[in-house]
Amino acid sequence: MTPPSLAVEHLSKVYPLAEEDFYALRDVSFEVPVGEYVALMGPSGSGKSTLMNLIGLLDTPTEGRTWLAGQDAGDLDPEEAAAMRNQHVGFVFQSFHLLPRLSVRENVEVPLTYAGYRPAVRRRRALEVLDRVGLGDRVNHHPSQLSGGQRQRVAIARALAMNPSLLLADEPTGNLDTETGMDILALFDDLHRQGSTIVMVTHERDVAARCQRVLRLRDGRLESDSAGRAAPAAA
Amino acid sequence: MTRAVTVAAPPAPAPPDEPRRPAPADPDVSDDWFALEEPSGATDAWAILGIAWRSIRGNASRSLLTALGVIIGVAAVVALTAIGAGVTRNVTQNLERLGTNLLTVGAAVTRATGGIVRSGDASSITVGDAEALRDLQLADARVLGVAPSVTSTVQVRAGGLNTTAQVLGTWPDYGVVRDLEPAAGAWWSDVDVEGRARVAVIGHDIAGELFPGTDALGQSLTLGTHTFTVVAVLPDKGAGFGSPNRQVLVPLSTYLQRLARSQVAGGASAQALSQVFVRATDARHLEALQADVTALLADRRGEFDLSALSFQVQNQADTLESLTSVSRTLTLFLGAIAGISLLVGGIGIMNIMLVSVTERTREIGIRKALGARPQDIRLQFLIEAVVLAAGGGAIGLALGAIGAGSVSDLLGVAAVLTLPPMAIAFGVALAVGVAFGLYPAQRAARLDPVASLRHE
Repeated sequence: MTPPSLAVEHLSKVYPLAEEDFYALRDVSFEVPVGEYVALMGPSGSGKSTLMNLIGLLDTPTEGRTWLAGQDAGDLDPEEAAAMRNQHVGFVFQSFHLLPRLSVRENVEVPLTYAGYRPAVRRRRALEVLDRVGLGDRVNHHPSQLSGGQRQRVAIARALAMNPSLLLADEPTGNLDTETGMDILALFDDLHRQGSTIVMVTHERDVAARCQRVLRLRDGRLESDSAGRAAPAAA
Repeated sequence: MTRAVTVAAPPAPAPPDEPRRPAPADPDVSDDWFALEEPSGATDAWAILGIAWRSIRGNASRSLLTALGVIIGVAAVVALTAIGAGVTRNVTQNLERLGTNLLTVGAAVTRATGGIVRSGDASSITVGDAEALRDLQLADARVLGVAPSVTSTVQVRAGGLNTTAQVLGTWPDYGVVRDLEPAAGAWWSDVDVEGRARVAVIGHDIAGELFPGTDALGQSLTLGTHTFTVVAVLPDKGAGFGSPNRQVLVPLSTYLQRLARSQVAGGASAQALSQVFVRATDARHLEALQADVTALLADRRGEFDLSALSFQVQNQADTLESLTSVSRTLTLFLGAIAGISLLVGGIGIMNIMLVSVTERTREIGIRKALGARPQDIRLQFLIEAVVLAAGGGAIGLALGAIGAGSVSDLLGVAAVLTLPPMAIAFGVALAVGVAFGLYPAQRAARLDPVASLRHE
């Protein structure tokens, strides 16, 4: 039995305040099986970003645990968390977050570099994933020479470079016009068909409608799960 | 190297009637070759060096400014120690050229009074002292020669030309004592001293400047208001401290009568001298002779407290030692000052690196999100600091060598570039890079990824 790409269990994030503790996230549990395309919705302040950061191992929970591809990501020191993030998580950010000094190919090579791949392997892999997102002819350009849609494609190629267990997309169309946004969503659809597991944060219903499953957060709690698999925490 | 690589197949199209279903467990058609390649698991240091280098090159002018302190520091250390070593070697060579069996009698340099004792002071060596030593020479087979010296700097004219020279009044034995065999002509004699003759033996440079292209022998030159005849020209003894090249040597009696600034009451034998040189026939006799000369002069001058003599008798080894110790101290002092500037250069590196970490917070956040470990980030910034320091050090070495060369042209002292100070300066530059790079690198490594990504 293949372990789920992602499992979170009783995840809480608490910020201690003067009056009383603030729960950015309160006892959230769910699983995302391999190949699933999940939308994570919720109003601002609902805990979406906190959950994203916890899933992506950029932050550590106050309580609870995260598993990535069956591996326990709890109790990792920053070095180990970085290695696990590198191997299992492909980030796609709203504002692309490309490194402006590096060429398109070099941007895609960054996670491969930190994984310790040889230069020849890095290059070949980068060219391959760039081809896959339709940028095979732009590999030596710099981000500033590309349109917004092309930049996001570079970011997606970079997220794919390590063949991660999970693509974690945070409002990937938020900085794009509608038409370009549709192209990017179509690319995610393709990736999904090719077997990628995707968790996408969005607040647009029509974006969420393309996904197989919608998780809704409110006030740090998992409010609903369209698949009905995760038991929403008792209110 | 020759691992089997399957050519990436184009993505298999999904069945059109099932657009929302995942392709069942058929992941990564194009990823299987990639899965075969084993990553080392650790970022290779060359890749990090590449990242650091790109960031240095990408910001060339700031990088240069960052390294400027180290460049100047290393250049200063190299140039100053090279010049210091050059001066030391020059002094040493000139003293060694004099021979080791020479005693120098001069006024005591008393630290208590703090000042320099000038000729004409009550404690000065006098012509009488010199004459007493010449009497010793007649009685003592260990003494090869005795020659006094009294000097001043004057304008020398000949024909339409003029130059500045050091005029030195002495006895004919000066040639024997200082090993100065004329290149042309012959030394003036005791007869010339007796008769206060206006005759001169001139140094190589003076001859060249006043009588260019012609034979100086028999020509006239004017010292102050007195005309002298050139009877001998000395060979080229090289430039630098103590060289006779710019000297005009005249009989002591003539000097005292015509050129001395002031006359001292008490007759010729009370006239003050700068020094008296006593040359031994053999270095073996030097110590005994030194004691005898000291005793003779103390007795003559009525000084009985041997610990507070108004004069001192030094042998060449003493002089050499005291001069080299002075110049070594000077070199160390210069080196220390230059070292401080190197330290300041290191602080400059740290300063700019801290600014750089703040400026690149988002880059750091992105790299962390992509899997950069804190140690990777730390290494990147540390390498940047070390590369800047090493580059600055290399440029500094080159500039220091060039600077030492041009300054030595100016001073007429050949700078001596030696490996140890250069190696030390470069090593300190590297150490400074590491030491002052550590803190910014640590700051960068510890940045919170979430906050860094949000940083604008």
